[in-house]
Amino acid sequence: MGYDAIVVGAGPNGLAAAVRLAKAGRKVVVLERGEAPGGLSVKREFHPGYAVPGLLHDEALVPRAVAAKLGLTEHGLAFRKAPSIYIAETNGPGILLPGDPQGAAEAVGKRSKHDGQSYTGLRSFLDRIAPLVAAVLAEAPPPLAPGSAGDVWQLARRGLALWKVNRRDLLELARVAPMCVADFLNERFETPLLVEALAAPAVASTWSGPWSAGTNTNFLLRECAGGEALAGGPPALVASLYAASRAAGVELRTGAEVKRIRTDKGKVTGVTLASGEAIEAPVVLSSADPKRTMLKLLAPGTLPLRIEEEFHKLRSRGTAAKVHLALSGPLELAGSDGQLYEAIRIGGGHVDDLERAFDAIKYRRFSEKPHLEIRVPTVADPSLAPAGHHVVSILASFAPYHLDGGWTAEARKRLGDAVISVLEQHAPDLRGRIIAREVLTPADLEAQFALTGGQLHHGELALDQLLVMRPTPSAARYRTVVPGLFLGGSGSHPGGGVRPTAGWLAAGAVVGA
Amino acid sequence: MNDFRGTRYDAIVVGAGHNGLVCAAYLAKAGRKVLVLERRHQVGGATTTEEIHPGYKFTCCSYVVSLLRPWIIRDLDLPRHGYEILPLEATVTPFPDGRYLVRDSDPERTRRSIAKFSPHDAEVYKSFGQEMAELGRLIKPMIDEPAPDPLSRDPRELLRIARLGKHLRGQGDRWLYSNVKMMTMSAVDFLSERFECEQLIAPMAISGIIGTFLGVRSPGTAYVLLHHYMGEIDGSFRAWGLPKGGTGAIAEAIASSARELGVEIRTEAPVAHLLMENGKAAGVVLGNGDEIRAKAVISGLDPHRTFLKLVGEEHLDPELTHQIKRFKMRGSSGKVNLALDALPTLACLPGYGPHLQGGITIAPSIDYLERAYDDAKYGAFSRRPFMDVLIPSMTDPTLAPPGKHVMSIFVQYAPYHLKEGAADWPNQREAFGDAVIDTLSEYMPDLKNLILHRQVLTPWDLEQIYGLTEGNIFHGELSLEQLAFLRPMAGWSRYQTPVRNLWMCASGTHPGGGIMGAPGALCAKMMLGKRAV
Repeated sequence: MGYDAIVVGAGPNGLAAAVRLAKAGRKVVVLERGEAPGGLSVKREFHPGYAVPGLLHDEALVPRAVAAKLGLTEHGLAFRKAPSIYIAETNGPGILLPGDPQGAAEAVGKRSKHDGQSYTGLRSFLDRIAPLVAAVLAEAPPPLAPGSAGDVWQLARRGLALWKVNRRDLLELARVAPMCVADFLNERFETPLLVEALAAPAVASTWSGPWSAGTNTNFLLRECAGGEALAGGPPALVASLYAASRAAGVELRTGAEVKRIRTDKGKVTGVTLASGEAIEAPVVLSSADPKRTMLKLLAPGTLPLRIEEEFHKLRSRGTAAKVHLALSGPLELAGSDGQLYEAIRIGGGHVDDLERAFDAIKYRRFSEKPHLEIRVPTVADPSLAPAGHHVVSILASFAPYHLDGGWTAEARKRLGDAVISVLEQHAPDLRGRIIAREVLTPADLEAQFALTGGQLHHGELALDQLLVMRPTPSAARYRTVVPGLFLGGSGSHPGGGVRPTAGWLAAGAVVGA
Repeated sequence: MNDFRGTRYDAIVVGAGHNGLVCAAYLAKAGRKVLVLERRHQVGGATTTEEIHPGYKFTCCSYVVSLLRPWIIRDLDLPRHGYEILPLEATVTPFPDGRYLVRDSDPERTRRSIAKFSPHDAEVYKSFGQEMAELGRLIKPMIDEPAPDPLSRDPRELLRIARLGKHLRGQGDRWLYSNVKMMTMSAVDFLSERFECEQLIAPMAISGIIGTFLGVRSPGTAYVLLHHYMGEIDGSFRAWGLPKGGTGAIAEAIASSARELGVEIRTEAPVAHLLMENGKAAGVVLGNGDEIRAKAVISGLDPHRTFLKLVGEEHLDPELTHQIKRFKMRGSSGKVNLALDALPTLACLPGYGPHLQGGITIAPSIDYLERAYDDAKYGAFSRRPFMDVLIPSMTDPTLAPPGKHVMSIFVQYAPYHLKEGAADWPNQREAFGDAVIDTLSEYMPDLKNLILHRQVLTPWDLEQIYGLTEGNIFHGELSLEQLAFLRPMAGWSRYQTPVRNLWMCASGTHPGGGIMGAPGALCAKMMLGKRAV
């Protein structure tokens, strides 16, 4: 039963890595601790008959090129237009932001002519830098300190790509990338509601508020990525990856939790499962989070002290909670005239409200008025709930991993209540329709999904933990200091959200492509 | 009328702040005829000592020095002109529970003081200065030279960057990554990677926020920390000093050196605007209407004032105006200066002692500093602010009558943009002063009884009196997007401006604020190199 490679974790990254390895002729086994493949993208029945399509909402990050190389369309993956986002407003009509840029610019323009023009200007700036950013997102990060001729060549190519972008745009990119997203958006828009809503995804599940420097990098990276949603949501991506992996001859074992990555004389020799079973392979590619892989799965003392320290320093604090609601009817927002929205953002109406929500976690409290990033997946896929019923998936920011007093059942309930009361202000009929609710605090996310700190991105998205620094300098190109051990989960470049790119690139590092 | 008719200057420097004076001195040293024009009655700008209360001399704005470049001190022979630095003995941080932390020039004493809180940190602290010095090796060449512009397409600049890259490569990967992290992390995250006890991290982190509109947990503040660590007196890192005679004495020394080199300095000579001819700067027009011509005009004012007031929007490309307007000023700090009847008592460490000769830092915890920042974010001054307190008369007795003292309190945060609007500052000035004194009295119970005179300088006052736009003490925020080749604008980081014959030489240009002198000197060198004068 000799394997060439073991992949730890069957989320989108783990499966993508397995497919690439298998296609390169490697004999691969994927070990998944859950009962089904998918990781955070697994369909989750949180109440009998009611399911959410995974935990994450940011599915519009899958690059078509990577999907094509993995052969996912042949295995059933279909893209669809990103759904319109309804930005709810207290005592106001809100803004319905269509998924296409032109429609969005028109919608914004109806609210403010100035902002509509600014939106068009912003989209055209993003379009001009997108080729550059897309290339960054689709490739392994360049070496910060080039060692080989190949490295120098890669850097030179990057330099050339920079040269091709208009110099004005380049200067602007250099100026705006390290900014805080609030400053960037305030320079352009005059409608506070819009600024808050556009800023929110840049700080979701990060340890930063919209006034924190560097958050605009998150904004730019997201806005320049793909932009297309997945038909069937994240589970559809998992299904196509699973089909592709089977076609490529990958073996998948579920209910197989890896307890230890074994080494001999400093080199990887295989893994030991929780059951005690040992599986041998000269290569282990882990899509578990970097802290878990390097500090828990490796035996203590395996890493040089300096590298161990590097991973200790990696910041991986969860800052968001997930709340799932089962409703006996639709989620009807005030003033929506019966229209149902698939994607909704609810904030306080001003970017400072989002910042205040962040302030709470600095003092180890959760926000009493959290910002809500909402999906109602049953609008597109009614099969997730009984007929006429709906499920609501909410990412609530901010809630700290380290809560004063700890995450007791009481604290979890209070958080759930805070989320409901914010939502209720915009959906007056909500309370009577709630059949069941599930609240996942960062502590729950850690316990149930093996996420260190409950951090949904496997590592905070901060300037010093991105690109050539992700997850840490020594492992930024997927290869770790332990020969045979590779990191290829969301903790590696290009990072979190529903996308298979890190796994794909890590497998590339294994096969030497 | 024009009493200077016939006199042709090579260069006119607008503003006699320390950078303007340094720039003028370097140009004069190269044989150029230079005129410096100052709006106020004295030179120095924010580098000033003023007798606000009879017999008491206040270091009104900037209050310590460590960043003034040693080569400038040598080139301008400043010690001969009265420049003398008295070292600051110690930094004391009192805590509400009555404990205190002392860091001073004696490593062993410092170690013992830190060890009371954390033996681990006491050990790490010893090597920390060394580590910062190592990291400073990247920044040091950068603050003594114009900023490298990685987006330049000039082959010479690319060659220079390649050489710099090679130099950096030689320093080793680990060092390089540390630097990248340093540029992007928050001061607290950076320090927390090394230290464990908050009583040490909080007072150390404040170097990362001084003069910025950021909190100690905001990314980008680790760099500012390093910026403040670069001070060197007699070659030793992290040595802050107090100029004899207050910071104003530095300006006097530079002015004296400049005059000796032939610079003409006129005070109470406000410049109304530039004299523009065919889109080029041809000189200046004074407040009284006099015109003075020169081959080049050098602005020692901040970027906003330079372009929007001195040049005027009507002479600027709208795109440039747009760029300048979005250069962020946003002052965040104020000063409270006190004349004291006697030495105040520090409750945690009563009595007279060397600890009163140094800085007293009110930064008891990270949460305290963050709360202070939160107030400011939403447009109010900190109810319980961070304070850097100094009693300069302990080091230099000439600043106050015998037995009496002056106290300088640097206060953060005091946002220029109050939620009621900046113009509301005069209404809130005394309340702000009260908040400062009340908070400080928690640590110095007898302070209130000793106050003979109180001067409160809000950011609005700093703008009115010293011409610092929005009261920003660094002529523009020290945030990543406003540093190095982006300061003050992408493509114009070399002291030259888009207005022909107009140059900039102050803190709004690379390498930024503090009594450093580098922008002034680098501007002069650049002008001479380009034969602009």
